[in-house]
Amino acid sequence: MIRYIIRRLLWVIVLLFAVSFITFIIFYLLPSADPATLRAGRQPNPQLVEQIRHNLGLDKPWYQQYFDYMKRLVFHFDFGYSYQNNISVKQQIFDRLPASISVAVGAAVIFLITGIGVGIISAIRRRSLLDRTTMGISLVAISAPVYWLGLVALYLFAADIGKFPVPFLLGAGSYVPFSQDPTTWFQSLLLPWFVLAASFSALYARLLRANLIETMGEDYIRTARAKGLSERRVVFHHGVRSAITPIVTAAGLDLGILLGGTILVETVFNIPGIGRLSYDSIQNSDLPMIQGTVLIGAFFIVIANLVVDVLYAFLDPRVRYT
Amino acid sequence: MPNSALKASIAVLAALAAALVIAACGGGGGGEAKSGGTLKVLDTAGGVDSLDPGYWYYQSDYQELFTTTQRALYGWKPDGDTPTPDLATTLPKVSNGGKTVTIHIKSGIKYSAPLQNRTVKTADIKYAMERCFLPQVANGYAPVYYADLVGLKNYQDKKASDIKGLQTPNDTTLVINTTKPAGVLTFANGGALGMPCTVPVPKDYAQKYDQGKQSTYGQHQVFTGPYMIQNDGKGNITGYKPSQKLTLVRNPSWDKSTDFKPAYFDRIEETCCSDSTVAAKQTLSGQNLLSGDYAAPPTPVLKSALSSQKDQLSIKSSGGNRYISLNTQVKPLDNVNVRRAIAAVIDRTVLRQTRGGPTLGTIATHFLPPGIAGFDDAGGTNGPGDDFASSPTANVALAKSYMKKAGYANGMYSGPALLTIADNASPAKETAEAFQEQVKAIGLKLQYREVPHATMLSKFCQVPKQKVAICPNLGWGADFFSAQSFIDPLFNGANIVPSGNVNTAMVNDPKLNAQIDQAKQITDNTKSAAAWANLDKQVTSQAYFIPWLWDNNVGLESTNLKGVPSKFNSGAWDFAFSSLK
Repeated sequence: MIRYIIRRLLWVIVLLFAVSFITFIIFYLLPSADPATLRAGRQPNPQLVEQIRHNLGLDKPWYQQYFDYMKRLVFHFDFGYSYQNNISVKQQIFDRLPASISVAVGAAVIFLITGIGVGIISAIRRRSLLDRTTMGISLVAISAPVYWLGLVALYLFAADIGKFPVPFLLGAGSYVPFSQDPTTWFQSLLLPWFVLAASFSALYARLLRANLIETMGEDYIRTARAKGLSERRVVFHHGVRSAITPIVTAAGLDLGILLGGTILVETVFNIPGIGRLSYDSIQNSDLPMIQGTVLIGAFFIVIANLVVDVLYAFLDPRVRYT
Repeated sequence: MPNSALKASIAVLAALAAALVIAACGGGGGGEAKSGGTLKVLDTAGGVDSLDPGYWYYQSDYQELFTTTQRALYGWKPDGDTPTPDLATTLPKVSNGGKTVTIHIKSGIKYSAPLQNRTVKTADIKYAMERCFLPQVANGYAPVYYADLVGLKNYQDKKASDIKGLQTPNDTTLVINTTKPAGVLTFANGGALGMPCTVPVPKDYAQKYDQGKQSTYGQHQVFTGPYMIQNDGKGNITGYKPSQKLTLVRNPSWDKSTDFKPAYFDRIEETCCSDSTVAAKQTLSGQNLLSGDYAAPPTPVLKSALSSQKDQLSIKSSGGNRYISLNTQVKPLDNVNVRRAIAAVIDRTVLRQTRGGPTLGTIATHFLPPGIAGFDDAGGTNGPGDDFASSPTANVALAKSYMKKAGYANGMYSGPALLTIADNASPAKETAEAFQEQVKAIGLKLQYREVPHATMLSKFCQVPKQKVAICPNLGWGADFFSAQSFIDPLFNGANIVPSGNVNTAMVNDPKLNAQIDQAKQITDNTKSAAAWANLDKQVTSQAYFIPWLWDNNVGLESTNLKGVPSKFNSGAWDFAFSSLK
């Protein structure tokens, strides 16, 4: 197992190199704004533009720029400085990381709890009114775009602009770090968590329901019942344990989509996270910031996938890594 | 009279004067101005561009930092279109045929910590102007407005350590010498001495931050205005997180008796970056909130507010315009009659509707917008009378007649598609799409592409070698109330550059260039306005650009606020004059 993890971690490094290289290439090949011209104001003279280009290192060939960037990153863990505001990229990313992690982890907890809970109840109460209602609602949740759902949630329930304001559901722009005020942190994230989790909850509920219905028809379930085990033990120890394996796979892969979703949630709810930072940096052609946010995002996705693969061994005794 | 009594009298008079100014300025709502409290501002577009006074150029920089935290030689009262001495004691004294400008500054103006015991000297303003030419500061206007300073070239070529044309015979006198008369320095052609390059920067303190690839002075700056960015008192900013928050607190070194700004609030908190619809709703339904870095709320919110919360809106001319640029070096746009045909076939009311309708501005009939010196001389709202620019709606028959004059027998274009680069974000995207539909009436085919705004400008429209024929989503705002900041950069052939080129129509008419250069040297207000008005008529007649809107700025305020819009800063709220009711 240890050897497997070390091998996977080495691949993580290769993958991150590949991601950084592709990001660099995309920036240079696709039409993006010229950072030097943007920085030089609205009536720049050519000398100024060229001097800024030189100062930012943009007058070097792209491969030289890439080499310089990677050298700084590998040897000094230095992501460079933003073209936009000349502030350290690393400082800005690590400053915003807790907000994004708060959004993503909170949403993941909610969608796993609600998705798995609803999935199990729907499977064991198949064709009941409860089953039909939850599956109907899940269809709506899957179809609703995150941005739209966020706006609707704010207009209906937010304490400041909601039509039916709920005092503890704070509105956009109310986020504060956990270390500053845990209560406000929690209240400011409740709406974003539910909005981001909605479609995932629905998807997981439907997925688990289908898996569990299939699993509950297996011979070993009948055998477990014949042995006189309680229905609860049959469902949770034998049925759910088997049916949940594909859910774990999906959860690992969905982390990327979840991070994508945080861009929209962070925008609607004005949460200063990585998602919003990456969006703004793309708008401003701020390459160091684009590179930094993409690399951090890629790092979390590959690590999440690794964790999922390791979890497999615990969930399914047939899986062994060498 | 004892000194303290004199100071008290001055303070009372200053307060009375400020109160009169506020009363005269009006604002977004009624009620008396109240001192104290916290102002909260919601930004949606990224907030300020930079902390460095040498870089400030755009509306949010001016609104959130320039007018609140620093003082320049000259400033602007909210409703004024003439400069007010700020650090300076009086308007500049002009001599030597307009080539020498002498300014005296007030003594005793102090910096914030850590230089709280130091007073502003003219040497600090000289250095501030010099550093605006440093590439690591990247100022966007100094080479335009201070281009005629004596000794500038030597300084830029590093043959001199300072600009000889900036002299400081003593701590309170600044003498500016130029190689030719410069209207912008005398206020006939504007207010280049009221721009942030004249915010004092103490050289011995700032120089170490001005080394390296990009200056970091902004993050360590010292303040002269009523507020300062929250800091640790040792020269390190703590109240700023890019695209997140900007916190301004009272500057203990500021002496109210020396300033024309009342600065009512105790604290200003600027938060970025809300969704524009959410931010607008929060401002209208909340308390202590003013809209920040957006020119108008989204159309649905605006419509709703116009019907039920009109007293929370401030609709003011922004002093800017919107236009469609036609590249005169791309066929068939090199033919003036084709350009006039396009101008005639445009339905400006439809284009305005894409931005939200009449609240968002007045249909433009010529290039200079209202409020700019020369606007009335150029025909005012009705314009100079060019038939292709007079009608707010499309005149297809007239357009076809121009096409016939251009050699298209049936009045319809027949030729290759014209490269058109548009903005891919609303509402500009909708404007460009409407334009694309409208020009079909004269058979114009477009090779139409939509890209992000920054890419549209810096990779296409402002890069001559791309040979973009049409840019439908351009606009321009005034730097001050002179037409020079409109006509010179956009129509003077001398300003055509390989990148960042704002003369997107590629106008390079030697006769026109010479007239512009002459107008720039006029130091008499009336003559200057007449000269620029004449140039406005010429460029409108040539249809290089099709101006279609004179923009309004729509500000929002909470019910307990008395927001005061700034005419100088495009109608955006002036935080130094706004207050609680």
